[in-house]
Amino acid sequence: MAAPTMKERQACWGARDEYWKCLDENTEDASKCKKLRSSFESSCPQQWIKYFDKRRDYLKFKEKFEAGDFQPSKMTAKS
Amino acid sequence: MLLLARPPKAWHRLFQLQPLALLGTPGGKTQHVRYQLFSTPGPADTGRQGQPQGPGLRTRLLVTALVGAGLGGAWLALRAEKERGRQQQRTEALRQAAVGQGDFSLLDHRGRVRCKADFRGQWVLLYFGFTHCPDICPDELEKLVQVVRQLEAEPGLPPVQPLFITVDPERDTVAAMARYVQDFHPRLLGLTGSAEQIAQVSRSYRVYYSAGPKDEDQDYIVDHSIAIYLLSPDGLFTDYYSRARSAEQITDSVRRHMAAFRSVLR
Repeated sequence: MAAPTMKERQACWGARDEYWKCLDENTEDASKCKKLRSSFESSCPQQWIKYFDKRRDYLKFKEKFEAGDFQPSKMTAKS
Repeated sequence: MLLLARPPKAWHRLFQLQPLALLGTPGGKTQHVRYQLFSTPGPADTGRQGQPQGPGLRTRLLVTALVGAGLGGAWLALRAEKERGRQQQRTEALRQAAVGQGDFSLLDHRGRVRCKADFRGQWVLLYFGFTHCPDICPDELEKLVQVVRQLEAEPGLPPVQPLFITVDPERDTVAAMARYVQDFHPRLLGLTGSAEQIAQVSRSYRVYYSAGPKDEDQDYIVDHSIAIYLLSPDGLFTDYYSRARSAEQITDSVRRHMAAFRSVLR
């Protein structure tokens, strides 16, 4: 399988950004962004979608952490 | 701190007469301040009555200003000297890290064999990545060629050769590299090789890489260290830039290395 070209990469990133924006606007409620999700999935290799999903989780966590909102769970705090 | 040793009376006078004296380096002003204190008649100074009074206020201010300017200048010179020393130290530490020693022999994206010695005489900016990379490699390569373009636009600077070495030799064949590099810069060279050759060159630049599990499409992501390397015209590792560095910061750093460069060969 050939790697995506620059055009394909940009199309994929564009669809990802649209989908992420929708999640931002709907407080992470994916059911309200189904259309954009399917456009994201059809614009990117499957492997990248997994990667970007994980990356968004990470970025969200980082945002929370940097804002000082992150509370370690009680389990973690005890150990 | 020095001033703490003075008797309270002197303290009081000091504030009255020379508020300026406290603004500079206290140690260096001691001499001047003492002169001030003793040349002004006061109850403790009876033996001096009748003698001409010390220099006028203008002279005193002038002397203070001159001494201040001298100290400021000395401080600036010292700081510049310290900065030079720090840079030299960093260069030396990087040299001792022995990164990128030895040669490599890889195929460029036109199928020609390329050794490190082929780039002797040129500054090289080098990045390791893979063509199926979702976002970081394209971003970093874009940054790298932006640096090359900025330096190209400045007349009088030596040329910089951009290089991209794959850490995914299984998929990144000569043809795959040719397709990939053309999107970035006309002079960007993509280098690939056998699994062993790639392992060797990555090891010598301390680049970690590890291919993830394959999915149904036989696709996978390669996890790898992210850094842009700068090699001098001697082929020696000179500096590296992490992801957090902007194109402007890298350009500035390369420019500084170019200005300070003296070949150790010949």
